[in-house]
Amino acid sequence: MKKRKKQLRNRMIIAAAFALLLVLIAILAPVIAPNDPYKTSAALIRKAPSAAYLFGTDNLGRCVLSRVLIGARTTIASTFFLVAISFAVGILIGMMCGYFGGIIDGLLMRLADLMLAFPQMVVAIAVAGILGGGLGGAMLALGITMWTSFARLARSHTLAIKNEPYIMAAKLQGKNSFQILFTHIFPNILEPVLVNALTQIGTTMIGISGLSFLGLGVVAPQAEWGSMISEARAYIQIAPWAVLFPAAATVLTITVFNYLGDAVMEYRDAD
Amino acid sequence: MREKLLQITSLNASYGDADVLTGIDLGIDAGEIVCIVGESGSGKSTLIKAIHGMSGLRITNGSIRFDGRDITNLPAAERRKIMGPGIGLIPQDPGTSFNPIRRFDVQFKEALQSHGLPYDENAIVGMLRTIELEDAKAVLRNRPYEMSGGMNQRIAIAAAMMFRPRLLMCDEATSALDVTTAGAVVGELVRIRKEQGTAILMVTHHLGIAQRMADHVGIMRKGAMIEYGTVRDIFENPQNEYTKRLITDVPKLKK
Amino acid sequence: MEQTAAPLLCGKGLNKTYKSNGRVVRPLQDVDFALYPGEVLGIVGESGSGKSTLFKVVCGMEKPDSGHLYYQGKEYTGDGPEKTGRFLQMIFQDAYGSFDPRMTMERSLREGSDANRDEIVRIIGEVGLDSELLGRRPRNLSGGQCQRMSIARALLSHATVLLCDEITSALDVTTQAQVVRLLNGLREIENVSILFVSHDLALVSMICDRVMVLKGGVVMESGPTDEVIHNPQNDYTRKLLNSVIAVEKM
Repeated sequence: MKKRKKQLRNRMIIAAAFALLLVLIAILAPVIAPNDPYKTSAALIRKAPSAAYLFGTDNLGRCVLSRVLIGARTTIASTFFLVAISFAVGILIGMMCGYFGGIIDGLLMRLADLMLAFPQMVVAIAVAGILGGGLGGAMLALGITMWTSFARLARSHTLAIKNEPYIMAAKLQGKNSFQILFTHIFPNILEPVLVNALTQIGTTMIGISGLSFLGLGVVAPQAEWGSMISEARAYIQIAPWAVLFPAAATVLTITVFNYLGDAVMEYRDAD
Repeated sequence: MREKLLQITSLNASYGDADVLTGIDLGIDAGEIVCIVGESGSGKSTLIKAIHGMSGLRITNGSIRFDGRDITNLPAAERRKIMGPGIGLIPQDPGTSFNPIRRFDVQFKEALQSHGLPYDENAIVGMLRTIELEDAKAVLRNRPYEMSGGMNQRIAIAAAMMFRPRLLMCDEATSALDVTTAGAVVGELVRIRKEQGTAILMVTHHLGIAQRMADHVGIMRKGAMIEYGTVRDIFENPQNEYTKRLITDVPKLKK
Repeated sequence: MEQTAAPLLCGKGLNKTYKSNGRVVRPLQDVDFALYPGEVLGIVGESGSGKSTLFKVVCGMEKPDSGHLYYQGKEYTGDGPEKTGRFLQMIFQDAYGSFDPRMTMERSLREGSDANRDEIVRIIGEVGLDSELLGRRPRNLSGGQCQRMSIARALLSHATVLLCDEITSALDVTTQAQVVRLLNGLREIENVSILFVSHDLALVSMICDRVMVLKGGVVMESGPTDEVIHNPQNDYTRKLLNSVIAVEKM
């Protein structure tokens, strides 16, 4: 049994190393990128991959590799930011709802139910459509539904521990509700909610890229994988590499983060 | 010498690499009540699991014989034939022995029929009444998840008894029960032995129960049987220091 | 026990009613109790007797529907646990669960107390523990050690009343004896009075000065321990006594 736990730990470390590598690439993108991702060139339109342009060039003669690298920044950074904000808002609301209960809890949880009744992407498309595109709009559109999963999870974990004897003991030690929420409840529910955040990274990335692909997220000329695919699919038969590489980058990144989420979850559940 | 109903000879058992039972010798005659007393981690429940043949527990040495037959490493299908009419078990946690969402009477009927025995509701109702389940008929129409732990425990006792097993094993069968109910259960077990000649192997941390019902008492600690004797020997003239301490430390009603 | 002194803690006419699944449950029905300074009052009852509800009401976790609670003659009915904690502390059945699993013992002990390290080490010694254990988290202690820690925590917050809720029922026989001995010694050294809830009449008979028998939220009988055990007046008390399967001298 211990052996299995060790295996799972190694798996988790490998997944985390890959994820870290991707994040590093995103951070260092401007340094690594071989060419200017925004420089158009009439002479280099739709060139196949070569030594100078490893991933080829697109319809405007821009270096696809450099755009994929810079796009990593947009996609990964916005995903992290969005997950972090939803996590913070969700855990706070969930903790309050679970601990205090009452009318506010009822209202917020019905609101969360309502959000769950629609597929996340449908809500996001509608909201992003109303907001009229832009990265900020896309993030808001996704965040509107995303906080609910954190809130529900935080609430259920809060409910599970709020009647534990140690909470009662803390009350008898004269602690008020806010001290209890932040010194006892928060640290004890943090772990599961954090793991949930990890598993959300993949779907959020699909969300952002998806909205950009539909023209509701990042707008040209800013490099983002979804919008790159969208632009390049018109001439996919002539220059398949302009679609292929950003698509491969998306698939790879989502796989790595989903794998990391699963690995962490399995490691936690194994005993 | 006539062979005992249950005969355990120098039994060693382990989970993974760790030995949890070492050198256990124990014999139970038909109609005899033996109580095994120990604190948590003493291996007393593991002993019952070894007899019952729980998966994951590996018997590394010694043998278990029941009714003249070696059951040490019996295949599951063979073992199922013995469990029930031969050896009955009242588990520590009754929740695990029932299907939570099916009515008790349906589960009882199926269990009996799988051993080719008839379902006699009146007999079961009578048995439930003796262990303080007054509304027995209605109880049988209920489902396990609807009942409290104490209720389920009492029904589990009735379920084991309805097979009229030759050996009844009880794994802390009374520890989740209220004082008055536990008293009734102990009384019922003693009565069953008297009327049906059932041998009983009772594992408990409760010295009082051992003193009240046992013919022989075994004291276990850290996987070994450190003292074994008649109830009189153990309580009047304990030899082992640990046994002495157990008997001194247990609360006694001030008379 | 001296009944002439004023009670340290008392409740009068306590009532509590719940609705659960449409049924009305009355776990407390006109319950009176009085705890005198320095004594141990045993509260005996089976599941559903109302003894846990009584504790919740006494420490202010729940408000009684009617009735009054007094500490040193002053009414405190309606005060929450953050106020009642100044004079009473609870020792829980689940010793492990009574400490935050992520905190070291020292941090938990410091929560409600301004005691300095020396004072903490002294109290830890008094409950029979080594101060080395202060750096550990609850899962690295044994059940008995954890229970001693929770007694230490109660003493550090200068409580004069300890509410003990089945505090030994999760412990082994030998550990239980040690905890009970400790409690008995402490009531003299630290000047605490104890409300001791248990289903174990034998245990109650050993450490309580007076006993109160509860059943279905009603006080069946109460009086000095010897009287209740040797001359029970109530049928239920007799039944309870007859059911006790205690070890007897042979």
